[in-house]
Amino acid sequence: MGEAGAGKLAVTFGRFVRHKVGMSALCVLFVVILTAIFLPMLWPYDHAEITPDLSQSPSLAHPMGTDTLGRDLLALVLRGMQQSLLIAFSVTIIASLIGVVLGVVAGYFGSLVDATVMRAVDLVLTLPTLALAAFLGSLVAGRGVSWLGLAMVLGSLMWTSVARLVRGVVLSLRELAFVDAARVMGASSTRIMFRHLVPNVSDHIVVAGTLMFGVAILAESSLSFLGFGVQPPDTSLGLLVANAQSAVLTRPWLFYFPGLLIITIVLSVNYVGEGLREAFNPKSAPDNPLTTPRRTARSRRTGTREKQAQASQPAALLTVRDLSVRFGPQTAVKPINLEIKPGEVLALVGESGSGKSLTGLSVVGLLPTNAVGTGSVVFAGNELTDLSFEQWREYRGRRIAMILQDPSTTLNPVLTIATQFADSMRLTSAVNRTEARRRAAELMESVAIKDAQARLDQYPHQLSGGMRQRIAIALAMVHDPDLIIADEPTTALDVTVQAQVMATLAMARERTGAAMLFITHDLALVAGIADRVAVMYQGDIVEEQDVFSLFDNPRSEYTRKLLSLAPRISTDSSVERP
Amino acid sequence: MVQLIFRRLASAVLVLLLASIVIFTVISVSGDPLAELRDRQPPVPGSVIAAEEARLGLTDPLPVRYLSWLQGLVTGDFGPSTIATRDIGVELGSRVGVTLRLVILAIIIALVLSLLAGTVSALHQRRWPDLILTPSAFILLALPSFWLAVLLKQWGIAFNNATGYQTFYTVGAVSVPAPREFLPLVADIAGHMVLPTIVLALTHFATWSRYQRAAVAEGLAGDHVRFAVLKGLSRRRIVGSYVVRPALIPIVTIVALDLPVVFSGAVITETVFQWRGMGGFLLESIALRDTNAVLAWLLIAATAVVLFNLIADILYGLVDPRVRYAKS
Repeated sequence: MGEAGAGKLAVTFGRFVRHKVGMSALCVLFVVILTAIFLPMLWPYDHAEITPDLSQSPSLAHPMGTDTLGRDLLALVLRGMQQSLLIAFSVTIIASLIGVVLGVVAGYFGSLVDATVMRAVDLVLTLPTLALAAFLGSLVAGRGVSWLGLAMVLGSLMWTSVARLVRGVVLSLRELAFVDAARVMGASSTRIMFRHLVPNVSDHIVVAGTLMFGVAILAESSLSFLGFGVQPPDTSLGLLVANAQSAVLTRPWLFYFPGLLIITIVLSVNYVGEGLREAFNPKSAPDNPLTTPRRTARSRRTGTREKQAQASQPAALLTVRDLSVRFGPQTAVKPINLEIKPGEVLALVGESGSGKSLTGLSVVGLLPTNAVGTGSVVFAGNELTDLSFEQWREYRGRRIAMILQDPSTTLNPVLTIATQFADSMRLTSAVNRTEARRRAAELMESVAIKDAQARLDQYPHQLSGGMRQRIAIALAMVHDPDLIIADEPTTALDVTVQAQVMATLAMARERTGAAMLFITHDLALVAGIADRVAVMYQGDIVEEQDVFSLFDNPRSEYTRKLLSLAPRISTDSSVERP
Repeated sequence: MVQLIFRRLASAVLVLLLASIVIFTVISVSGDPLAELRDRQPPVPGSVIAAEEARLGLTDPLPVRYLSWLQGLVTGDFGPSTIATRDIGVELGSRVGVTLRLVILAIIIALVLSLLAGTVSALHQRRWPDLILTPSAFILLALPSFWLAVLLKQWGIAFNNATGYQTFYTVGAVSVPAPREFLPLVADIAGHMVLPTIVLALTHFATWSRYQRAAVAEGLAGDHVRFAVLKGLSRRRIVGSYVVRPALIPIVTIVALDLPVVFSGAVITETVFQWRGMGGFLLESIALRDTNAVLAWLLIAATAVVLFNLIADILYGLVDPRVRYAKS
């Protein structure tokens, strides 16, 4: 685990270094911290030292000017930075420690311990911390070591975010095998918590801690501003701003320098946090299906060429030529060709990662944003590539419908089933409510949903997975599409429900006579529904045959392997034979 | 739904009771309301201190003090102040409204703005409006609210001086003396609210718009949005009902959680603009070591937070059918 951890750390570090904004923010922060530590040693003026230069604007001798007492503002600001950074740093340590310990204990032991900790969190979250901190700050401020007291006050009020975060992750981890393994091997609870669980949350803690540092700077300076933080003759950035309140117009340097410093520090801390977050947990490019995907110039040329070729073979409903998908330098789908005739069912079979889903998404123009597609897709004689969102709407839902893999996420959780049907129906003509409900109920009955009227007013979460997928099928059928693309429609369902949904899909297709592109990893499902089968392997189509020839006489080595790995096919067919 | 509200109400009362115990203990144990009296030079006679202790009820053990304080609360009595003539309940009561109108208006403005900005930002990630909105939010997040408040106040003064006409009100929640008729009074109060509301709304706009952006971005990548696109729905319908509506659930949570922070912000904003609101009351009470007044303040703020959370829970039910049906 140690080696893997180090490797992961190196990768994370590399990602952070490449994060330009985060890196520059870190540099700024370093400069600020080093300045706060070392410059006061070299600077000729002390923060409490009174010079004869009263209220001077910035000059060579006093780069930030002087205040009304003649103190050098740079010296004051340096002292303020030291105080602010020291306090914020201690607050972060204290709050993170409390948060990690309480969070991991709550998550690990659960039940009563968890309930107690979470009530404490609720309680702290109910109180305006600044008010409580001001009261407690006013008590500790007078007594000697004010920075530590202040840090303890703020730390004891700011641990909740870390505690909640850690608890959440630990709750999800504690049932995992490696925790059980450690327990069986006789590790104590403390050891499991701090040697096995905490390291797994460390990335979250680092990010949360970084952001907390920024919040702590703001909290400390706010308190000092109100007069309940750092007390004169010592100073902090917040106190400097407070003293300069009435000087904004007359001696602006007194107000702007400390304020801009706070902003610089907090801004860099936040950007470092953002960089760390992305380094630990890189987000893929933002996915936005509402935009038109990028395509390369080459695709347009092939597209026009294809349009001419298309005229000579009008029989095909869908023709895919030289379609490829790349993610940067990596090719996910090699240039492939497919053809589907009206009313025909083509199964696209392959293991996960073979590029079959990407092929399906390319056909409907919904590749992920960071993918680049080329080639041409011709549907009923029309080139589909490079259509705008509005042009696509002529096809999507009306002539090409798609059914996605996971029925628990495809339906809108906050709309009733009836509304989701009505949304689809309104595409072609204005439909009134009663008419929409009547047709929706009809469609739902056609996919074997009983008690359709009552279901219409329900929300997706009230329905079972199989029922949701059948509703998704019914939704796809609203406009009697010419082509249905079904992307692993039964994979997320359990086996008994699978058969029902497959039967529903077959029935719905036969009723409308639509063609279908059926994408699956399961050869057993193919036998019952497909006319032809294309086998995909590592982004390429290795074999394409009609369904009987494929099962009887597979040509490619890979198909043979797939068939041998699916023993259910032989048993299935032997059951069907009599 | 009604059942849900009742259950939440019961748990809210419980949280408040718990909060009152903790606040009372922390404040009573840590603060000595007579510290100033004891430190006074020349020393105050012991009999005076003893009398003050008796008046404030400091001689009883803590649980007894808590119970008698709670008893007083039920009848609307917040306990004696360190200043004998000060009635905590009356004074706080007159100030709650001033603060609440600032807080509520700022929340509404910040919420509306962040819903708009966050959604627009997420729909155009790493493109034009987002390239301005995201860095602006980051800068606003780093801006100390007291600094922004002082800046706007002084700029307002400078603007007034330059034009020779009072465009911005920079001191107080209302003019002294206040206008007598209704409409001028409303206009006067609204005028005084402009700058403080901007400050308070901007600081929270920054946080909330970031959350809204994340929520919408996550929604956009979701299967149900892809399915809606595949159904051929219009952009407007997809954004409204399939992207933004589900994303309202996280933002309601965030706003409810942030309410105490809004109150903290209000304390600072009121201080800078010299409002006679709850913020000023708190700071005076702390300076006077008036523990009962601080207690009362914290309790009022906690009550407001709990009430707002209750509203958020009800909003949840309205936005999210999963909550509405699961709990009733």
